[in-house]
Amino acid sequence: MRPTARMKPKSFLSGRWMTFAFVTLSIALLGTVPVRSQDDLRCLTCHGKPGFKKTLPSGQVLGLFVDPTPLRLSVHKKLNCVQCHADVNEVPHKERPQRVNCKRCHYQGNTMGAPQTSKYMEFENSVHGLALKAGNPKAPLCQDCHGGHFILPGSDPRSRVGHDNVPQTCGTCHIKIYGQYRESIHGKALAMGNKDAPVCTDCHGEHTIQRPSAPSSSVNPANVANTCGKCHAKIVIMKKYGINAEQVSTYKNSFHGIANEFGVLKAANCASCHTAHDILPPDDPRSSVNPKNIPKTCGRCHHGANANFAKGRIHVDPDDRSAGIVYWVALGFKILTLSTLAGLFIHIGLDLFRQVKARKPREARLPEAPTEENEP
Amino acid sequence: MSDKCARGWRRADTDFVVQGVARELADALDKEIREDLTEDQLERLRDSLADSLGRDAAAGARRAHRAFEDRQRRRQKAVERRKKKALSAGSVERLSLHLRIQHMILFASTITLIVTGLPIKFHDAAISVFLIHLMGGPGVTRIIHRIGAVGLTFIGVYHIFYTMAFESGRRDFGRLIPKLQDAKDFFHQMGYFLGVKKDKPLFGRFSYIEKFDYWAVYWGLVVMITSGYILWFKVLAINQFGKSIYDIAMEAHSDEALLATLAIVIWHFYNVHFNPKRFPGSLTWWNGRMDLEEFKEEHPLEYEEMLQSEDIAKSSKEGSAGEALSSKARGDFP
Repeated sequence: MRPTARMKPKSFLSGRWMTFAFVTLSIALLGTVPVRSQDDLRCLTCHGKPGFKKTLPSGQVLGLFVDPTPLRLSVHKKLNCVQCHADVNEVPHKERPQRVNCKRCHYQGNTMGAPQTSKYMEFENSVHGLALKAGNPKAPLCQDCHGGHFILPGSDPRSRVGHDNVPQTCGTCHIKIYGQYRESIHGKALAMGNKDAPVCTDCHGEHTIQRPSAPSSSVNPANVANTCGKCHAKIVIMKKYGINAEQVSTYKNSFHGIANEFGVLKAANCASCHTAHDILPPDDPRSSVNPKNIPKTCGRCHHGANANFAKGRIHVDPDDRSAGIVYWVALGFKILTLSTLAGLFIHIGLDLFRQVKARKPREARLPEAPTEENEP
Repeated sequence: MSDKCARGWRRADTDFVVQGVARELADALDKEIREDLTEDQLERLRDSLADSLGRDAAAGARRAHRAFEDRQRRRQKAVERRKKKALSAGSVERLSLHLRIQHMILFASTITLIVTGLPIKFHDAAISVFLIHLMGGPGVTRIIHRIGAVGLTFIGVYHIFYTMAFESGRRDFGRLIPKLQDAKDFFHQMGYFLGVKKDKPLFGRFSYIEKFDYWAVYWGLVVMITSGYILWFKVLAINQFGKSIYDIAMEAHSDEALLATLAIVIWHFYNVHFNPKRFPGSLTWWNGRMDLEEFKEEHPLEYEEMLQSEDIAKSSKEGSAGEALSSKARGDFP
């Protein structure tokens, strides 16, 4: 009885809420439609003129022409100008409007129809969001990555945040790293239209992006191996390019990997040797892991390393025959250990068997013992 | 047949003991010179030696040699006395203090190395993470591991020195060398275990089991110390031999560590702890003593040897303890 009695008002309440939300939303939508088109026309009276511009006191010329077409093709096609540029409340406006604040609609639990996602909060706590909060004028807003009027979903290849366009988008600010990335094997693969090639966000994350020193960062030294492993530990992906998918597990079983796992972050991770943005295959003479450059790369930590560091494999899997002598040593020890232990167990087992067997006739022997002692 | 063996050993041993280290060396030197030179030449050589060194120096050396011999003899007698005392007390000294300290250093460093090393091998296990952080993180365990490594290296090197420089070390080492008899003993023991043979094989100071233990540790030390130092001084090693030497050392170090640990935990712990005869553990490692009854059963040939030396002691009017022992051994002791 009690649960149903309790449930009833709750469902009633939620039903009421639903009705309320629906009615409010419909009124809002129906009410804005005529106003929107009117507003847009009023804005475009000036901003729709090609060549509409303003010369700032500094002498800089600001182009103020707005082509309405991209907005109409974007995800915000149904919105009008002042819904985003909300601080414009008279036409013509006297002040220069502030940059658009997307949070007016884009927050979790919004009723405006913007997607419900935790990404908004994630951005607040990201390196960019925190810089923004701290008042850094260079910190990016949503529109710096997603674009202003021509916002498209990430799945659209024309989108600024679509897979292939991410490096360019990030590169607008991180220009030096973009240059390195473009020269790297990943950047070149992307340029060739490879969909497997990682872009910035595949390693650094999107809205969750953190500075590498943050423990939660996907590119923190503690997490690099797993981040690279997202692709490099997958046989399905690596097979296509003839790369060994064991590289991540061999790293994790090496001293570098184990030290890293136990929290020694100065121990080498993938990026320590392969570099982060200008990764190149070992046969490239510019690569940090080209045999010619290995003494220098290893020598960054192991001072005095010479050319012999390049003699032999770096990623060694003792269970793989291609590991050569290491494979045979491992196999030899496996056989030695198993046979030794088998021998020892058999010896112990037989010893115990004999001791247990010897115990039985003891009872029979017991009365004899005193006679032996009584004899002399 | 094993009787003869035992007697042969005893005589050789007694000779060895009486002569002493320095005396033996002096004899060997003397012999070598004598073989090559005639009596006259030798005389002349001695004269010229005495002249060049000065007679006082020669006399001093002779005196020192004699004092050394005396000390050796006194020490030997003290050992004999202690042995006799122990025998009459119902137990024998199986391990000298010297050996016990070696064993303690060995197991202290081995335990240190296992506790700080195996968590690295089994780094995926939750207990490894717990242990490593309990000890203060990998930076600390690395230092502890190397302290253990120095301890193990020290005892390894010292033990080699011990087996060469000390009378008891040389004697025990000689008795630890595997012989055909050990294989025979092994099959005899198997027969006994399976009920084919009624009696146990008769062991001397070291049974084939103890010999296996000893040589297993020897092999383990060689592998672990060699590979361990390659890993420790990796840049030096790789610069010299190429990166593969490091991988081989890593594999050998890791695998032999597991083998050694399992051998100790299963085999050695069974022999000294979990064997129903010894549970919960033999105290020989601590006080060096072994019960006379157990000693008679486990090392009958060594016991017999001891009796022989006791008989000699008795004939040279040394004491009544030997008498007590002999009567005890005959089984008519109350």
